[in-house]
Amino acid sequence: MITQTILTQAVAIAEKRAQRPGAAIYAGRAAVLIERGFYAAKSSNWLVILSGFVEPVLYLLAFGFGIGQLIGDIEDGSGNPVSYAAYIAPALLATSAMNGAIYDSTWNVFFKMHFGKVYQVMLSSSLGPMDIALGEIAWALMRGAAYSIGFMAIVAPLGLVTNAWGLLAIPAATLIAFGFASLGMAITSYMRNFQQMNWVNFVLLPMFLFSGTFFPVSVYPEWIQVIVKALPLWQGVDLVRSLMLGIVDLSVLWHILYFMVMIGLGLAFTTHRLRALFMR
Amino acid sequence: MTLEFKPGKAVDPKRAVRWGALRVAEYRFYSMFKWIGSVIAYGLGNPILYLLSVGLGIGALVDASAGGNTLGVSYIQFVAPALLASAAIQGVMDEVTFPTMDGFVWDKLFFAINATSVSARQIADGVMIVALGRGLLTAVMYLGILLAFGAIPLSSVVPLLLSAMLAGWGWAAVMLAITARLERDEGYFALISRFVIAPMFLFSGTFYPLEQMPIYLQPIGWVSPLWHATQIGRNLSYGLEIGEGMIFLHLGYLALLGVIGMAFVYPKFKERLAR
Repeated sequence: MITQTILTQAVAIAEKRAQRPGAAIYAGRAAVLIERGFYAAKSSNWLVILSGFVEPVLYLLAFGFGIGQLIGDIEDGSGNPVSYAAYIAPALLATSAMNGAIYDSTWNVFFKMHFGKVYQVMLSSSLGPMDIALGEIAWALMRGAAYSIGFMAIVAPLGLVTNAWGLLAIPAATLIAFGFASLGMAITSYMRNFQQMNWVNFVLLPMFLFSGTFFPVSVYPEWIQVIVKALPLWQGVDLVRSLMLGIVDLSVLWHILYFMVMIGLGLAFTTHRLRALFMR
Repeated sequence: MTLEFKPGKAVDPKRAVRWGALRVAEYRFYSMFKWIGSVIAYGLGNPILYLLSVGLGIGALVDASAGGNTLGVSYIQFVAPALLASAAIQGVMDEVTFPTMDGFVWDKLFFAINATSVSARQIADGVMIVALGRGLLTAVMYLGILLAFGAIPLSSVVPLLLSAMLAGWGWAAVMLAITARLERDEGYFALISRFVIAPMFLFSGTFYPLEQMPIYLQPIGWVSPLWHATQIGRNLSYGLEIGEGMIFLHLGYLALLGVIGMAFVYPKFKERLAR
């Protein structure tokens, strides 16, 4: 019987997979989440997805060129004058990487967890929680990388990227998004209702306004500077700004290390939470 | 007496209960109080953060450079009326968009209310009353913070509040007219916030004089209630010269937005609830 053969094979494949070490956590098939992302995106409103990259461009126009006329040149951190637009463009790129990643890993994940029950269904297949965490984040990152490329395509012709290091701003923005997405997903797993979700904005807005985005952190007293520099957005802004303005030194590596640690912790945390929530 | 079913006339407007709008408002205020904590936290947190960052942070850069002379006042005084009007508009708008969608589409509470002796017009008015209440709360908190920062003079508080609320009402009426037409939520609010609200906030002369924009971007300010309210506010708070005629033009435009908006709201509510 042909059905019998297929069944036996399927069981054999499943058993083989299950014997691999760590199969309960990671089946090595995170890519199917990306496939699902594409299918799901097809039936959603494309304008909403595409419009994601409009926001930083609007802020750049309004703040960079508008307020730029009131401010003139600003000191870039190593003593050279740059236009105000060139000063805030990297910060806006880093911020939009953060916002995109947080949106995808909080609201989106929240809906799938509580209303769509998407993860429950996935976890009853051979997928493990780590597959879901990685796959979901990878999908968000692809979107984020596309936004970054779009933003760079606009700012580079405007002369806001002063040297070749600037190209690395795209992978840097993706790294920032990775950090925020992996941590954001873990935090979302604790959320129970919409009102709690609003607290995410309470954290993001001050971070956006005070992380050296619109003015140098040197205006603050020393102790506030220490706090600001410990925040992930400041790390990201400083990283992208160093690259786009070509002030590259060893501090860049520290920023990268910061995000690597953030990604590692976030992934471990998310996997643990998904396991605790759905695999009892 | 026989009961007669007339489709399209769930509630006879002549028999609608008196002050029905207030009853709708009562229920909506109750549900708002469930999360009053975050309304207040956001209402207070938002102005403090913006004033510290934009008013003082960017302000330090502007005041130290040529821009300080262009504006004639310190930067924090310049942005204060704009931030106030923007907060009032946002506060009012938040109460007419999602809750209206909820009433028509998600929970369908408006249909339930309309099945009692409360008319469609009263429901629309009730939604607007709550929105204005929320806007008022937000604006009063904002004014308190602005005073504490010394960004506005005490004498301008009441007129500033009135002009900001007029702008809030005008814009909320327009948004209510639009929301009442949405049959389903397909990310329209995300689109509106990105393509309408964000440009309006950024390009209405909020952070620098509108005249600094290239002329082809200035119309965004002209149609935006935020710019009109901001101009009135700047005149009131630090005496920006705009001429008496212009004041009336600004006020008239805001009032017109509200009147036209509501003129579209009432028939749409009536038609939709009679389905």
